[in-house]
Amino acid sequence: MDNEILNLYRVGKVSLNHTFDQLFNSDSKELSKARSNKKIEDNDSIDLILSELHNLVGLRNVKELIDEIMAFVEIQGKRKKENLLTEPVVLHMVFKGNPGTGKTTVARIIGRLFKEMGVLEKGHLIEIERADIVGEYIGHTALKVRQQVKKALGGILFIDEAYSLARGGEKDFGKEAIDALVKSMEDNKDNLILILAGYDYEMEDFLRTNPGLKSRFPIHVDFKDYSVEELIEIGLIMAKNREYKLTNTAVNKLKQILVKYNDSYNSGNARLMRNIIEKSIRKQALRLKRQKYISKDDLLYLKAVDIEGNDKY
Amino acid sequence: MKKSIIVGKTNAGKTLFMINFAEYIGLKKIVLKQEYPDGKKLSKEMSTDLAKSYLSSDREYKTQCIQSICIDLPVYKGKKEITLLDTSGLIDGIHPKLSVRNGIIQTLEKIQEADIILHMLDIALLIDNNTLSEIDRQIIEYGRNRKGYVLIPNKIDLDKDKIGLHTLRQEYPKQFMIPISALYKKGFDEVKAFVIRSI
Repeated sequence: MDNEILNLYRVGKVSLNHTFDQLFNSDSKELSKARSNKKIEDNDSIDLILSELHNLVGLRNVKELIDEIMAFVEIQGKRKKENLLTEPVVLHMVFKGNPGTGKTTVARIIGRLFKEMGVLEKGHLIEIERADIVGEYIGHTALKVRQQVKKALGGILFIDEAYSLARGGEKDFGKEAIDALVKSMEDNKDNLILILAGYDYEMEDFLRTNPGLKSRFPIHVDFKDYSVEELIEIGLIMAKNREYKLTNTAVNKLKQILVKYNDSYNSGNARLMRNIIEKSIRKQALRLKRQKYISKDDLLYLKAVDIEGNDKY
Repeated sequence: MKKSIIVGKTNAGKTLFMINFAEYIGLKKIVLKQEYPDGKKLSKEMSTDLAKSYLSSDREYKTQCIQSICIDLPVYKGKKEITLLDTSGLIDGIHPKLSVRNGIIQTLEKIQEADIILHMLDIALLIDNNTLSEIDRQIIEYGRNRKGYVLIPNKIDLDKDKIGLHTLRQEYPKQFMIPISALYKKGFDEVKAFVIRSI
């Protein structure tokens, strides 16, 4: 325990309130400060969220679609005010695309956006996968689904790799999970948005084999793979967020690596980009450690030698 | 053995609560261990009636050392022994007397190592001047971020119209609290349940 402050109090130099704060509440002060900061973030306006969305690299079609949905929701609200007939606002979505193409990121942003627009009460995102809703014995599945839905009420229930629900064959409880999901979707249609996410091809197959589902998810969003240029841009932003810069040769090397990867499974993947950048930051650290004198520029720049793509990530 | 510490401002009723709680658990006699700031240690055995007249009073700063007793609480089918620590009262600012300050330092040292914090608050003070003292707010703030903390508004027998309790609830709507009367042993079963839950 901090004896110095106690001694100061003993000789009558500081008040008990100050002492107590020093001893116990120093972290909690920061905590509450962080909390209040977070509150400010919570109150972010629609503009702020939209600018965040538009700052995402690529994803043109996604941005357009969100603009469309926003306009639709707003106009339906206005029509309702004028007592005109309104379309029901059904916003369940299917996100199709390879891993690392921004599905979860976009889902998070959509949640916050809908909260600000008053479509959702809380706008939080519950991310689940097959194991979270498929039970082990008869009757277990419905219970698990209900639990997850309860958690997600007022927000978005995001099911990753959703096609795996239908994969187990006839005796699998995945079908039961789908039925239960459909049921709770109908029950909570004003207070819950369901997003099914997964690989393009597998999701198509999944929806084709479950015709009831397809009609219930009116919005389909394709997340295209990033092009090499987009990936480079993403990489530069990632480096910038970490206060690093890339030299021109480093950018060129990055390009070479990405072109080489282009046909492989991981191509067009922002996560791959992040791994490369993070790896090169570690390699730069190793290189600088051997150096005798380190300037500020040395600390700032990632060079071509630091970038190495052919490791398995 | 789990330690449960009673903290609060001076004259909040900490010592009386300790003794009456021991009595409520079913003890007729207590073994009181006193630990003075200068390192002197005493151990006394006395009846609870004697302890009440001997240790607690309506004056401020009656307790100027750490006093502790051991009590057994029934947990499931067995029982668990816990230490109940009674401390010198805290007071805002710098108290002029060195002996009081030393007692307060002892209290501060014990707070962190305790498993359960029972924060005693004189509700009668809230009726008159309607405001909580700074140190009470600080303790509440601290308790919010740790386990085993409970706010115990004492002297509800004086707060007939529940004005004090109402003001407190308004200021800390989410804070868990157990209103008691240490003198008339009201609300003790809830305190007991809380302590058992926390160990």
